[in-house]
Amino acid sequence: MTSFRIDGGTLIDRHDVRRFTFNGEVLSGFGGDTVASSLLANGKQLVGRSFKYHRPRGILTAGAAEPNALLTIGRDGRRDPNTRATMAELFDGLEARSQNCWPNVNFDIGAANGLLGPLLGAGFYYKTFMWPAAFWEKVYEPLIRKAAGLGRASYDPDPGYYEKCWAHCDLLVIGAGPAGLAAALTAGRAGARVIIADEGAQLGGGLIAEGSSIGSKPADAVLGDLVGELHALPNVEIKKRTTVFAAYDDQVFGAVERVQKHLPEHEINPHRAMERLWRIVARQVVLATGAEERPIVFGGNDRPGVMMAGAMRTYLNAYGVAPGKRVALFANNSQAYQTALDLEARGIEVAAIIDPRTCPNIDYDGKARLIAGAMVRDTSGRRAIKSITVRHDDGSDEVIAVDALGVSGGYSPIVHLACHRGGKPVWSDAHVGFMPPENTDGMTSCGAVAGKTGIAACFADGGTAAVKALAELGVMSEAASLPGVEQAEEKADPIQPIWRVASSKGKAFVDYQNDVAASDIMLAMREGYDHVELAKRYTTNGMATDQGKTSNVNAIGILAENKGVSPGEIGTTTFRPFYTPVSFGALVGASKGMDFQPVRKSPLHGWAARNGAKFVETGPWYRSSWFPKDGETFWRDSVDREVNTVRTKVGICDVSTLGKIEIFGADAAEYLNRVYCNAFLKLPVGKARYGIMLREDGFVYDDGTTSCLGENHYFMTTTTALAAGVLTHLEFCAQVLWPELDVRMASATDQWAQMAIAGPKSRDVLSKIIDDDISNEAFPFLAAREVSMFGGRLKGRLFRISFSGELAYEIAVPAGYGESVADAIMAVGEEFGIAPYGTEALGVMRIEKGHVTHAEINGTVTPADLGMGKMVSVNKDDFIGRVMNLREGLVDPSRPSLVGIMPKSPSDKFATGSHILNPGDDVSLANDQGYVTSMCHSPTLGHAIGLALVKNGPSRVGEEVVIWNGLAGTTVTGILCNPAFVDPENEKLHA
Amino acid sequence: MRDYPLENRSAFSPDVAVGTGAAINLAPVPGGFVIHVLGDAKSDEAALKQVLAKIAPELGADVRKSAPNQWFWVGDAAVYSDRLTELQAGLVNQFALADQTHGRVRMRLSGASSRTVLAKGTMVDLSADLFAIGQSAMTQIGHIGAMITRIEDDSFELIVLRSFAASLWDELHHMAAEFR
Amino acid sequence: MSSLVKCPHCGLRPREEFTIRGEVATPRPSAGADEATWFDHVYLRDNPRGEHREYWHHSSGCRRWLVLTRNTLTHETSDVVDASTLKTEGAQ
Ligand SMILES: [Zn+2]
Repeated sequence: MTSFRIDGGTLIDRHDVRRFTFNGEVLSGFGGDTVASSLLANGKQLVGRSFKYHRPRGILTAGAAEPNALLTIGRDGRRDPNTRATMAELFDGLEARSQNCWPNVNFDIGAANGLLGPLLGAGFYYKTFMWPAAFWEKVYEPLIRKAAGLGRASYDPDPGYYEKCWAHCDLLVIGAGPAGLAAALTAGRAGARVIIADEGAQLGGGLIAEGSSIGSKPADAVLGDLVGELHALPNVEIKKRTTVFAAYDDQVFGAVERVQKHLPEHEINPHRAMERLWRIVARQVVLATGAEERPIVFGGNDRPGVMMAGAMRTYLNAYGVAPGKRVALFANNSQAYQTALDLEARGIEVAAIIDPRTCPNIDYDGKARLIAGAMVRDTSGRRAIKSITVRHDDGSDEVIAVDALGVSGGYSPIVHLACHRGGKPVWSDAHVGFMPPENTDGMTSCGAVAGKTGIAACFADGGTAAVKALAELGVMSEAASLPGVEQAEEKADPIQPIWRVASSKGKAFVDYQNDVAASDIMLAMREGYDHVELAKRYTTNGMATDQGKTSNVNAIGILAENKGVSPGEIGTTTFRPFYTPVSFGALVGASKGMDFQPVRKSPLHGWAARNGAKFVETGPWYRSSWFPKDGETFWRDSVDREVNTVRTKVGICDVSTLGKIEIFGADAAEYLNRVYCNAFLKLPVGKARYGIMLREDGFVYDDGTTSCLGENHYFMTTTTALAAGVLTHLEFCAQVLWPELDVRMASATDQWAQMAIAGPKSRDVLSKIIDDDISNEAFPFLAAREVSMFGGRLKGRLFRISFSGELAYEIAVPAGYGESVADAIMAVGEEFGIAPYGTEALGVMRIEKGHVTHAEINGTVTPADLGMGKMVSVNKDDFIGRVMNLREGLVDPSRPSLVGIMPKSPSDKFATGSHILNPGDDVSLANDQGYVTSMCHSPTLGHAIGLALVKNGPSRVGEEVVIWNGLAGTTVTGILCNPAFVDPENEKLHA
Repeated sequence: MRDYPLENRSAFSPDVAVGTGAAINLAPVPGGFVIHVLGDAKSDEAALKQVLAKIAPELGADVRKSAPNQWFWVGDAAVYSDRLTELQAGLVNQFALADQTHGRVRMRLSGASSRTVLAKGTMVDLSADLFAIGQSAMTQIGHIGAMITRIEDDSFELIVLRSFAASLWDELHHMAAEFR
Repeated sequence: MSSLVKCPHCGLRPREEFTIRGEVATPRPSAGADEATWFDHVYLRDNPRGEHREYWHHSSGCRRWLVLTRNTLTHETSDVVDASTLKTEGAQ
């Protein structure tokens, strides 16, 4: 194989030889190479197959816009599909594979698609796969995906660590070419906090490819000095390998930094991020993103060996890689002539320069033959270019043998970040391109993105832009200048727009990545899809992972030319984040696996774990759901035992996850009276009360107890699920609705370890550790107050409340002491047969008792629906939900209301969510009477029981109904009953 | 059983590795107190500090603003519940006290990289000229709410809800790993 | 949508620290107001193109309810105030 590596190359280190594989073949390159430059150096012009027609494709660009050279790099969990070879840095041991080809890149069966070309034109997805509809999902889509798929994601987890970060600066400079460097230096010298970000591995942008000298110094020495000064400024943060991919509202910019993607596996620090997602808060921004050289649309313009003229220059000067041995250039502008000069300076033959302009005003003094007023019509060659056909201005054709063709169709400013917030770019006839929007608050464009050409002009513009941006912040500064360089006078040298070479015979590609040809765009227009957004979607132009960086403007140009209007009138499609693809790893950051969301642990977590708890995730909480003992193999064995223990002896349950809110203030009682639908104004000190909170629309929001612990001091508990929501609601009421009330709230959920001690022996157990008298007389049902414990060594809060329906207490102690107190209760309770119980047993007992939870409080029930209509105060002037609760539909007595339900035959079972039907009715939702909200096996009664919301429920106790499980297709005969299956007279509670 | 041994357990597992590196060091702050002070609408920090100096000079008046008219009063002494009752009595109604000694956990992140580590979690700009020693911010570190206070140039105290403390510790541990 | 909100109590903070409740509705009617007035307050919301006043709760910061005046078209936030000021201004 011929090596295309020649002398020079400012970026590469020839002492640092790096081996890599491409489709299994071992190749080598140098430190500083990209995968693309090393492939070209090894003579690999053909690197992949195209998306639709599987045409051979080579490397088109030397940067972020690359549409062709997408490779899969790495293996196993570190495999990255669709990686641009032009952006991937070469490291030792890198593995790269071509995509879109089978069995291999040189011989690809899918290339037969090329023969089907006429069938695969614009809109073929819509036309070819229309009928029958059922085939779409099962046949067409899988086929299309298989044939047209890009690289495949790995199924293995990525072992790399990813993270997110915030950064702040006075001035964010995006792009580190001459304009960006000048802006950063200007601001850095003025003392501003500067961040300069560039997607490249090295700062310099267009300076890197500049082979000649600047002033009296070599270009790379000038660049070295600039970067050296930036590094020395402590207020300047340099972010290399960092793509600013989005401009968000309020001057927040998204950026991804490839921290370790360029390193071989053995050099990766597992504790450092592979990629870092930055959110940069910038007071001012200088946009120095440069311009993208445009391809020209002519026949066979996708043949490997056809490359952007500027990219050729980069490979030559930065990487020491010759694009070919005999090169032609096809350009409609004078910048491209610099490529010819550089090629010739390195001894590479430039066969011809084809310029469509009849009298280009250039000062090219090289050896190449200049063919003015002509265009490249077509190319030939199987896997790489062999020759070009030139159409002269007299209409004659000439074939010229070449092994590479440099193309330059003008320059498109990279305006994306200036347009992400909705700004529309502005067409400029002078620049033959879309320029950044004129009014972008806080953002100043400079350099090539602002239409400047040449190193000196861009540098000067960057300095000016920084001065302007800093002035907005009230900071005076002086524009940095390049020593010894005079800005050349701008010369009249217009670009001649050429959107399409009309004489082309072969397929002329506009969008390389999505295989959209000029003929497709013409077809779309003929079929009426001539609006830029419609043409895009009909042809898929610009919809590939490169988002049309090299194709959009040409597509707009073709539309404009054919409609006879200016491209400005056609306008662009919408620019949206991301500028270039961002890996899911970076977007997810550290929030994966066990770190997906924070874990909340109860202060009794350790105690529960020591007692063998099985935990269940409840939001972020880990709650103990049951405590299996030896010999219990099935969860219900444990739950049944736990229920029986509580009903006959005593149990202890961790209820620390309930929301707890301390409420203070002179108007606290009045405030509670307004947020609960029942009366709270006269709750005495030392008492707890069950309360129901309504939403303003009259439905139940949450329930819980609130205790009065002292004058102007209350303690509220909420359900675990709504702890955060209730506090937020209470704050809304206090701050927005009634700011005149003196009420102050503090979340105390985490301060207290809270345990329910329930069962006939609960008082006996607690009496052993509580110093105060807790007899029924001294501490009756709903008593609530601070108690002294363990001989005065600890203070706790004791509440006589019960969810299980048994004689029960809840004791709250400072969280740090929770485990000790729970251990002590277990120890003193041993003689009474105490056992820990979990949320499953808690759930069973509340159903047995007919207590509701959010299974019943489902957002569509009123207190009356839950059998608690009498609690709603009729005496209070106002409370949340008072008026809307009285609406016609909400007081309808036939509303679904709470009722108990059990199977007629005790051996029958039924499921939560089953619907209730009247016996004899058709099994259909049309005859729906309500549904089962909760069900369980009741160990106390020995059969299944449930709660249900049923039309007229309470008045139908004793009725037979059908319980219909529509999912399982089964029915069971049930009987409606009192929801309080256990102790309906509340005797146990008051014992 | 009234003499049952009572242990005040840390929210962190006993085997948390306390780093000692110069670049980064994360350590729990043991003991002390955190009291949530809830003032009425007319209260202000100067008045609070004045009254605290009067009623509890031995506890110091390190108050960190958490919200309008609300502060976390933090100190290294132990404050038992009887003392808290006394303090509340001395404050009458203008300031209410809610003990958070067990509900909010203190930890300290220090070392040259501490600001870089925190930037992985919080948007708040902690550069020295904007966030001086003694300044506090209630914010989010990743998905977890926390109060950040600058203690020294390169040292920050974090106050986090007890139930999230172990999670935040783990996250900070990961974020700091590259600097150890 | 705003990326950053300048909380009047805490300064510039990211959107993630806030919970949004939606448009500032009509002031909460008196208990004696008719059902139509209550219906407006509870249910009716505008969805304007342009300036919009919304409740934002600084849930991971000072836990104060704020009122943002936000342009739904440009996403510019022109004003942020503590929501308690609505009532003192007689608007709530
Ligand atoms: Zn705030």
